[in-house]
Amino acid sequence: MPWGSPVGLDAEVAQLRRGDLDALAGLLARYQNRLYRYLLRLSRDPATAEDLFQQTWLRVVERIRQFDSRRSFDAWLFAVARNLAIDHLRRISPESLDEETPSGATAAAELRSTDPPALETVLARERAGRLAAAMTDLPVIYRDVLTLRFEEEMKLEEIAVVLGTPLSTVKTRLRRSLDTLRKTLEVRYPGEDWR
Amino acid sequence: MSEHETVRELLSLAIAGALDASDEQRVQQHLRGCGTCAAEFELLQGVANALRRLPTPQASASLVERTRARVEWQLAAEAENRWNRRVLVFLILFAWTLVLASWPVVRLLSSGLLGWFEPGFGRTWLSLAGYTALLWLTGGVAAATLAFRRRWERRIA
Repeated sequence: MPWGSPVGLDAEVAQLRRGDLDALAGLLARYQNRLYRYLLRLSRDPATAEDLFQQTWLRVVERIRQFDSRRSFDAWLFAVARNLAIDHLRRISPESLDEETPSGATAAAELRSTDPPALETVLARERAGRLAAAMTDLPVIYRDVLTLRFEEEMKLEEIAVVLGTPLSTVKTRLRRSLDTLRKTLEVRYPGEDWR
Repeated sequence: MSEHETVRELLSLAIAGALDASDEQRVQQHLRGCGTCAAEFELLQGVANALRRLPTPQASASLVERTRARVEWQLAAEAENRWNRRVLVFLILFAWTLVLASWPVVRLLSSGLLGWFEPGFGRTWLSLAGYTALLWLTGGVAAATLAFRRRWERRIA
């Protein structure tokens, strides 16, 4: 279950608040793939995602005492990561937060799997690659909300915390992002059955 | 706006689980009688399911290791900075104490006890300023030398 408060998480966060770096190893192991995936979806570039990943943990260690332990650590962590990613995207291209940019190869290349190459697996992988490529065409605010809702399976209220926006904005973005993704898929891969 | 158009607007939200119970019921009821919306709903659901099944890109072991090392280095650097600040404050206080405490001794040795009562006592303050500047200059040079040496040692390590 990607969302929730698994046993041990609270203890690790409390340990980190006390400055115990052993807890960092536990938290890194717990969040490494989820956080990297989120940053990769936002930045669309593995090198940038890796740099943001490191910056996120530095910021976490720096500000862990400001974290209110009654709230969700997941939401706080992803909000820290998101703020860093958005700042970075603003620096490299102020327009990139809203405009659609053609790309796709990077994220698709990240979808390698080690499963045996049965026909179904190959087809599923190709399909996933096409979907990931279509995702990279979306503006960052749409990729953001789609990843949090469908890949991270976060609750809407928690997405609102990560985004720092009202629930109504989250709903609007979700609706628009799904509609836009659906249209993008239709244009990029006409005739493909996604049902 | 017709019921059909209203429900069509709600389809994405239904897929995202963002509808309240009454709107959810409204959508389900409409889908039973509208083939167009039912097909659109199925398509959106397929896209959402495909999103859920996207493989998770794996963070490399070296990234995790580098992150851990960078955090540890950062914390060590911060701890060292805090320690350096404390040492600096202590040294400043110690230096002032030393200057003020040693000045009467220097004065005593250079001009004897009667020197305190000389008519040109104003010059005493000038001497004190010179003496203080000399001590601070010596201390500053020593501190800078130590800092350069430490930086050089760290670069080599």
